[in-house]
Amino acid sequence: MAALTFILIPLIAASVILFVQNILYQQLLSGLVLIVLSFFAFLLFTSSESLIFALPHLVDIAVIFADIILLFYFIHQGRVYNDNKVLGLGILQLILYGWIEMLLPSSSTSSIVIDELSKMMFVIINTVGGIIIFYAVKYISYEKMDGFRKRLFLAYLFIFLSIMNALVMVNSILLFFFLFEMTTLASYLLIGFRKDELSQKNALRALWMNQIGGMVILLGAVVTITMFDTVAFDQLLSSSGGYLLFAVALLSMAAFVKGAAMPFDGWLLGAMVAPTPVSAMLHSATMVKIAPYMILKFAPVLAGTLLGGIVSVYGALVFVAASYFALSKEIFKEILGYSTIALLGLMVSLAAIGTQASQKIVIVLILFHAFSKALLFLTTGVLEKEHHMKSIESMKGLVQRAPKSVAFLIFGFMTLVLPPFGLFMGKLFALQAVSGNMMRSPWQIIVLLGVIIGSVLLSLLYFKVVSALLAKESDIKSTERESLPAGFALPLILLSAMIVSASVWLFKTQSGLPLYYLLIPVALLLLIPWFYRKIEGFDRAKEYHCGEKETFDAALFYFDTTALVKRRIYWFFGLLFVAVALVGVIS
Amino acid sequence: MKFLKKFRKKAPWILHYNAGSCNGCDIEILASLSPKFDLERFGVINTGNPKQSDIFLVTGPVTYRSRERLIELYTQIPEPKVVIAVGSCTATGGVFRGMYNVEDGIDQYIPVDVYVPGCASSPQLIIDGVVKALEILENKSKEIEKPFKLFGEIKQVGKLTSRRDMAKKIKEAEDEDKS
Amino acid sequence: MTLLAPILGGLIYGVERVLRARMQRRQGPPLLQPFYDMFKLMEKRTLIIHAMHVLLGVLHFLILWLTVGAIFFGWNLLYVIFLHLFALIVLVMAGYSVRSVYSHLGANRELLAMVAYEPVLILVAVGFFLQSGSFEISKIMQGEGYLMQMPLLFMALLMIIPIKVKKSPFDVVEAHQEIVGGVEVEYSGLFYEFIYMARFLEYIFIYSFVFLFGGSSVWLGLVLVVAAFFLVNLVDNATARVRTADMIKIVYVGAITLCVINLLWIVL
Repeated sequence: MAALTFILIPLIAASVILFVQNILYQQLLSGLVLIVLSFFAFLLFTSSESLIFALPHLVDIAVIFADIILLFYFIHQGRVYNDNKVLGLGILQLILYGWIEMLLPSSSTSSIVIDELSKMMFVIINTVGGIIIFYAVKYISYEKMDGFRKRLFLAYLFIFLSIMNALVMVNSILLFFFLFEMTTLASYLLIGFRKDELSQKNALRALWMNQIGGMVILLGAVVTITMFDTVAFDQLLSSSGGYLLFAVALLSMAAFVKGAAMPFDGWLLGAMVAPTPVSAMLHSATMVKIAPYMILKFAPVLAGTLLGGIVSVYGALVFVAASYFALSKEIFKEILGYSTIALLGLMVSLAAIGTQASQKIVIVLILFHAFSKALLFLTTGVLEKEHHMKSIESMKGLVQRAPKSVAFLIFGFMTLVLPPFGLFMGKLFALQAVSGNMMRSPWQIIVLLGVIIGSVLLSLLYFKVVSALLAKESDIKSTERESLPAGFALPLILLSAMIVSASVWLFKTQSGLPLYYLLIPVALLLLIPWFYRKIEGFDRAKEYHCGEKETFDAALFYFDTTALVKRRIYWFFGLLFVAVALVGVIS
Repeated sequence: MKFLKKFRKKAPWILHYNAGSCNGCDIEILASLSPKFDLERFGVINTGNPKQSDIFLVTGPVTYRSRERLIELYTQIPEPKVVIAVGSCTATGGVFRGMYNVEDGIDQYIPVDVYVPGCASSPQLIIDGVVKALEILENKSKEIEKPFKLFGEIKQVGKLTSRRDMAKKIKEAEDEDKS
Repeated sequence: MTLLAPILGGLIYGVERVLRARMQRRQGPPLLQPFYDMFKLMEKRTLIIHAMHVLLGVLHFLILWLTVGAIFFGWNLLYVIFLHLFALIVLVMAGYSVRSVYSHLGANRELLAMVAYEPVLILVAVGFFLQSGSFEISKIMQGEGYLMQMPLLFMALLMIIPIKVKKSPFDVVEAHQEIVGGVEVEYSGLFYEFIYMARFLEYIFIYSFVFLFGGSSVWLGLVLVVAAFFLVNLVDNATARVRTADMIKIVYVGAITLCVINLLWIVL
C-alpha cells in the first residue's frame, strides 16, 4: 500500500507538528519524514512493476463533497475580497462540475495508476519537498508571527506534500481536478500567508488564473465523458477518434496555466512575495512541474500531430520570451521565477515532441531543475533572512560578506548552465534529439531556435546576476567568516550533494570517453583554492582607473522592453493559447 | 634568466601619458606609430594599460592635476620599466618654465631614463629615444622603483606585498606637510 | 598535436599581424613577434589584484586548450562548443571578480557577444549533422560537398568570425579605445601571458569550423581557411566598430536568418 503511505504520512506529520513547539523537535520531525518518504520513494523507484488498483466508491463520493465545499470556499473568497474574476470563475466551475456529475455514469470508479513517470515524480516530490520543509522550520522561525501560525505554515506544507503525492497517482480526470484545485487552494493560502495587502492581492491573482486552468480541465472532462464515456486518463489516451485531440488540447491548456506560461506568468511572479519555502516548493520544484508532467502523460498521443507541434512551438517561444523578460527584473526571486517559467516552457516543448528519446530528456530536465531551483531559492531565503537583501542591486560585492551563500548560488547557477551537470546534459541531448527529428518534421526548427536562443539568454541572465556577487576588492584583508546556521546549511549541502550524485548517475548511464573529458574543467575549477599559496609571492596592485584613486563600480545592465512591445507579446501568446484549443477542434 | 633578458627589447609595450602638455608631442608620438614611421616593426604596441607596458612615454610639464595620476600610473607599471620624457616641457618645463601651474619637468617626481628633446619632438627623435631606452631596459633589475614625491607605502600583510597605496593623494601629502 | 596548439596559434597570430601591416603599407613586426611578447611577459615582475582573478584566467586558458584538444581528437561538435562556452564563462567570472569598472564592462560585453555568436555556431553544427548524419568531427571530416549544400551557413560563419577573434566591425569586446582592454585589463606579466595565449587558441577554434567545411578534402579546407583569414583581415582594416546592440541586431537579422534559410533548404 505504497500509495497510502505517501498520502498519509505527511498528513499525520501535519497534524503532529501543530503541537510541537520546540524548533529542534520540529526539525527532527521533518527530517524523519524526509528520510522515511525518500526511502519509500527510492524503494518504489528501483522496483520495476507498475501498480494499478481501484479505489472504493466511497472515495469518489467524499471527493465530490470536498470539491463542492472547495468551490464554495473560492466563491466566498471572491465575495469577501470583492474580486469579480474569482467569484465569476468559481460560479462557472461549480456549474460545470455539477453538470459533469450529472453526466457521469453511476457505475464508474476511479483508480490509482503508478507508472514510471509517477515513480520519478515521487522521488522528486518527496526528497526535494522534505528538504524544503526541513529548511522551512528554521526559516519561519525568523518571521514575526505567533507560534501557532508558524506551525500552521509547516502543517500546510506537509498537507501540500501529500496532495502532490496523490496528484501524480490518480487516474481519474475528476480526482485530478480536485487535487489540481487543492494545489490552487494551497497556493492561495500560502501566498497570502503574511497577511499584508500585497500578499492578498497576489494570492487572489494566483487564484483566478489557476481557476482558469481548473475550468479548462472541467471542459476537457466534459468532452471526455460525452465522447468517450469515461473519465479515466488511461482509457482516454488509448481510445481514438476525432475528439481525442480536442480533449487533450483542453487538458494541455491547463498545463500551460499551471506552468505559468505567457500570458499567465503574472501569478507566478506575484507569488514571489510569499515566504521563500513556498516559492521553492510550490513555484519551482513541485507544483509547477505538473505542467510537463501532464504533457508527458499525453506525449504518446501528441507525437507527430499538429497539436503536438503547436504545443511544442508554444513552449519554445515561452522559453525565449521568459528568459528575455527576466533580464529586466531586479528582485532576485522574480529573476528565478522567470527562469523557472522559461525552463518549464522548454520541458513542455520537448515533451510535446512525443518520441521516447525526448520523454527521457524531459524527465532528466525535471529532476535536475527541481534540485537546482530549490537550491537557488533556499539560498535566496538565507540571503533574505540573514543578510536582509532581496534585490540584486544590494548584492554587490556579496562575496566579501557572505562567501558561503555566494558559493551555493554560483554552484546553483553553474548546475543550470554548465557541463557535466544534468540540466546542461538535458539541453545537449535535446539539441541532438530535435536535430534528429528535423528531417521528418521541419517545423521543429522553431523549437531548435527556441532552445538555442533561450539557453543563451538564460546563460546571459545567470551570469549577469553572478556579476553583482563576485566583485572582490583585494585579498589583503581576509574575507569575513559568514555564520550560516545549521538549519539553513544542511538543506543546502544535501541538495548540492544530490545534484552531484544525480549527475554522476546520469554519466554512468551514458558511455564514451568524451563525457569524462567534460569533468576535467570542473575538477580544475574546484582545485583552485589549492593554488592560492603559490600566488602569494606576487605583488598586489591597484585596479586600473586611469590613474584615479577613487574606486568605481560598474552598474548592472537591464533590458527593459517598452510597454507597447510587452502588450503585443502578451496578445500574441494569448492568441497562441486559444489556438491550442482550435487546433484541437480541427484535428 | 639571461636568455629571457634579451627578449625585453624585442617587444616593448608603450604607455603614453599626457601630463598637461599642449598635445604637440602627443601628435608626434601617434604619428610615429602610423604607417609612415611605423614603430610597430620593433614590436611596439601602444597599450593603454600600465599593467601591460614597459615604457612610460610622458609628455608635458607636470600640472597640478596630473601629478597624482602620473604617480599612480607610474606605480602600476610592473618592473623592469623605463621612463622616456618626450619634449622639452617634460625635461625642463619648456616654454612654461617658472609658471605658477606647472612643475618644471617630471624628473622631480619619477626617475627618468631617456630625455627626448624638441618642441615639438619629431618621430625620428622619438624612435631614436625608444631604441636607446630599449638598451637601458635590457639591463634593468626587477626591484620596485619608487617615485620621488607623493610616495605612499608598500605594505607587507602576512606573506603578501601590497602596492595598492604606493601613490599618495595630493591632499593627503599636503596635509602631512602642514602637520 | 594538441600540445603544439598554442605554438600553432602563435604562428597564425604572427602571420596575421604581418598581414595587417602589409595591407596598411607598412613593414610590420617580425613573424615570431608573439613569442617575443611571450618571453618578455615572463620576465616582468607580475602584479595581480587577487589570487582568484588570476587563477580563473589560467583556468580559462586551460579549458580552451582542452577544447582545442577535443577538436583535434575528433569528438562531438556540440561538446566542443559547450566546452568553449565553459571557458568563456570562466573568463567572464574572472572579469567580474575584481572591482574594476573596465573589467566589468568587458565581461558584460563578452556575455552579450556570446548571445550573438553562440546560436550561429550551434546552427552550423546542426547543419553539419543534417548533412553528414553525425555530430562527431571525425565523421564530419569524411563527408563531402558541404560548401555546395551549406553556402549560407558558411556566410553566416564568416559573419561571426570577427566577433570571436576580436576584429572590426565586431570588436566591441576588446574595444581598446573605449574600455582599455576589457576583461584583460587587470592582468599583467606572467598571467597576461595566459590570456594572450588563450587568444591564439580562439583563432584555432574558430578557423577549425571553417576548415570543417572542406569535408574530406584537406586542400579545400586549407584554401577556405586562408581565404577566410584574408577576408577577415581585409574587413578589419576597412571597417569601423559597431555598437554592441547593433552587433546583436546584425547577427540576429543577418546571420541567423541565413542559417535558418539554409537549414530549411536542407530539410525540405
